[in-house]
Amino acid sequence: MKKLAIPARNNEGFLENANDWTPEIATLIASDDSIELDEKHWEIIEFLRLFYKEHEMSPPSNRLFVKSVKEALGDERGNSIYLMQLFPGTPAKTACRIAGLPRPTNCL
Amino acid sequence: MGTLMVIDQPPYGIWAGREALDMAFSLAAFDQPVSILFTGAGVNWLRTYQDTREINQKSVEKNLSAAPIFGVEAMYACARACTQYGLGPENMVDGVVLAENSSELIRQHSHTAFAG
Amino acid sequence: MTDIHTLHILNKTPEHPRSKACRDALRPGDALLLIESAVLALAAQSGPESDVPVYALASDIVARGLGQCAREASLVDFPAMVDLTTRAQNVISW
Repeated sequence: MKKLAIPARNNEGFLENANDWTPEIATLIASDDSIELDEKHWEIIEFLRLFYKEHEMSPPSNRLFVKSVKEALGDERGNSIYLMQLFPGTPAKTACRIAGLPRPTNCL
Repeated sequence: MGTLMVIDQPPYGIWAGREALDMAFSLAAFDQPVSILFTGAGVNWLRTYQDTREINQKSVEKNLSAAPIFGVEAMYACARACTQYGLGPENMVDGVVLAENSSELIRQHSHTAFAG
Repeated sequence: MTDIHTLHILNKTPEHPRSKACRDALRPGDALLLIESAVLALAAQSGPESDVPVYALASDIVARGLGQCAREASLVDFPAMVDLTTRAQNVISW
């Protein structure tokens, strides 16, 4: 298997250049957190990328991330336990990092 | 009844308005009722077809479109300021309520905070 | 060639006190360049109302969705803005 070159990232693992993002890079970033991406993850990643395109921002905090997912995909996915299981740590931060989005502004 | 964030600063060039928007989003994040009133030069936030690629800034028009998703209850625009800046239904973003009387609106909220 | 006496570069909204100060300072032979928030004057009812040539930075107009209201000013890009400053004997940045 060809080894992917890792593009430049900041000290928190977010891509320096959004254009570097590809699904393969996402897989690579996810492996930092020992996350193996399945279709549930991809659904959220695609949602986030669409959200960014429409609003030119990442959901600024974890609560607003959950709220936005709920608004778009319903209660089953838009709740913090579901998102925490998919994206451990601070879900908004982890998910945005994997989706190639900027760091959510209000996530500590 | 809830908090009213008043944005009376123009989009771009200064940060005060954007900080007020962040504040509104943070209140909404914690399910605190919040609405936004645009007045003075602030009504220019509401103009459609803002294309900010050349000035390398995020479009406030697009940022603002997340407000209903985050739970911001209402967006008001001072009718007089809209007239002054040539804003009408044809060039204003959707979902904005025109306020004929801003001071009355401010009195209806338990807390009002101005941008900047 | 310095054919402009004073180039007034204004970046404040029409309601900012300094916009009035700038308007009051305009003299024949001067030119007015609107940048940043000052381009909002082109959408305002009162308009830039000036007897001197009015220029405005195109990128700031496009950013604010004002392409339709820009008739009252000559649009300039960054190189043309630099050119304007070299044509002026004096420059005031308001």
